[in-house]
Amino acid sequence: MDESQLIARVRAGDSAAERALYDAHVDRVYRLAFRLAGDDALAQDFTQETFIRAFDRLGSFRGDAAFSTWLHTITTTVVLNGLRKVKRFRQREVDIDDAHDIGVAQRHAEPDLKARLKLAIDDLPEGYRTVFLMHDVEGYTHEEIGAALGVETGTSKAQLSRARAKLRVALSDFAGEWVQ
Amino acid sequence: MTDQHEDPKFEQWLKDAAKAYHVPHPTPRDEMWNRIAAARRNKHVIELRPWMRWVVAAAAVLILGIGIGRWTAHQPAGTGTTTVAAVTDSASPSESDLLYQIAATQYLSHTEAFLTSFRADIGSHRAANSVRFARQARDLLSTTRLMLDSPAGKDQRLRSLLEDLELVLVQISQSQGSSHDRDLITQGMNQSNVLPKLRSAIPAGPVPVRTEGAL
Repeated sequence: MDESQLIARVRAGDSAAERALYDAHVDRVYRLAFRLAGDDALAQDFTQETFIRAFDRLGSFRGDAAFSTWLHTITTTVVLNGLRKVKRFRQREVDIDDAHDIGVAQRHAEPDLKARLKLAIDDLPEGYRTVFLMHDVEGYTHEEIGAALGVETGTSKAQLSRARAKLRVALSDFAGEWVQ
Repeated sequence: MTDQHEDPKFEQWLKDAAKAYHVPHPTPRDEMWNRIAAARRNKHVIELRPWMRWVVAAAAVLILGIGIGRWTAHQPAGTGTTTVAAVTDSASPSESDLLYQIAATQYLSHTEAFLTSFRADIGSHRAANSVRFARQARDLLSTTRLMLDSPAGKDQRLRSLLEDLELVLVQISQSQGSSHDRDLITQGMNQSNVLPKLRSAIPAGPVPVRTEGAL
């Protein structure tokens, strides 16, 4: 059965088809959610929310683009909105409590490359970070990224290029690692 | 557009190194599917049709105005929640249903943000965060009980969700921040499927209804 037949069966209320559609796409959705969120509980929450929305709105899927493209649009919306919400919530509490424990105090003292790379990726602007993780880490094409994020392919390429440039500067202490 | 300083060696090295960033766990397919199925069974706790969302948004602005007017006229002590409750008391039954839905939507949005943040913080083991979460849970608990006690809260599925939330909030408010406490809370949240149910209960709608005042 091809995917359009599967989608038609889901629309007709076939729960086995729902599960089959979920099984076909859940790995990629969960992996992307995890890469962006960095937390299993959040990644599971975002994945669940993505599929709940997708099933609820399947009637509006016209089939102009691939189902996976449509699904990844929902995924990136759910994950990025969810992460912004968590960030705002934490920031508000930091403001209220005048707390000092959420921060990047060890950034300049961190000698480990892996940790420095993590901090450098975390520090990228949201758009750069999303494109970088989708393209360089999860292997999405610029066309897929553009469709998922609602931007032109050229914008995706430009953001990736800027992300890499920022990372190169942030990791310049480790230049020996790649200049060999 | 491409970077003028492209360096294939660096790019290849970066791609390899970045694979270690946020390495995903094996996909918990069945666990997530069970929660998705349960949430979809329980959806439409508060179902607002698209045209109603605009009505609710307009009503939210109106209520805010009435609330501010009453507050400035009588100077009562209390919070935004009590202002909404006071307005509800004097409203007609259908108006009070709508007002209750607005209050419920804002409360549910706030609680969702709180629980999402709590879940994301579980691995941190920061004592200061536990104290903060306990304090916030107590604040939300007061609102939960007000909503449960309100005569307008007739929707059985919403009541059931509020009762689940009450239980989770009690656990968080009494937590000492130990890993054991946090494990129990997480287990409880997973078993009651409370976050997916909560998200399904929040209607997608205009910002004033969904999140203003909640975040």
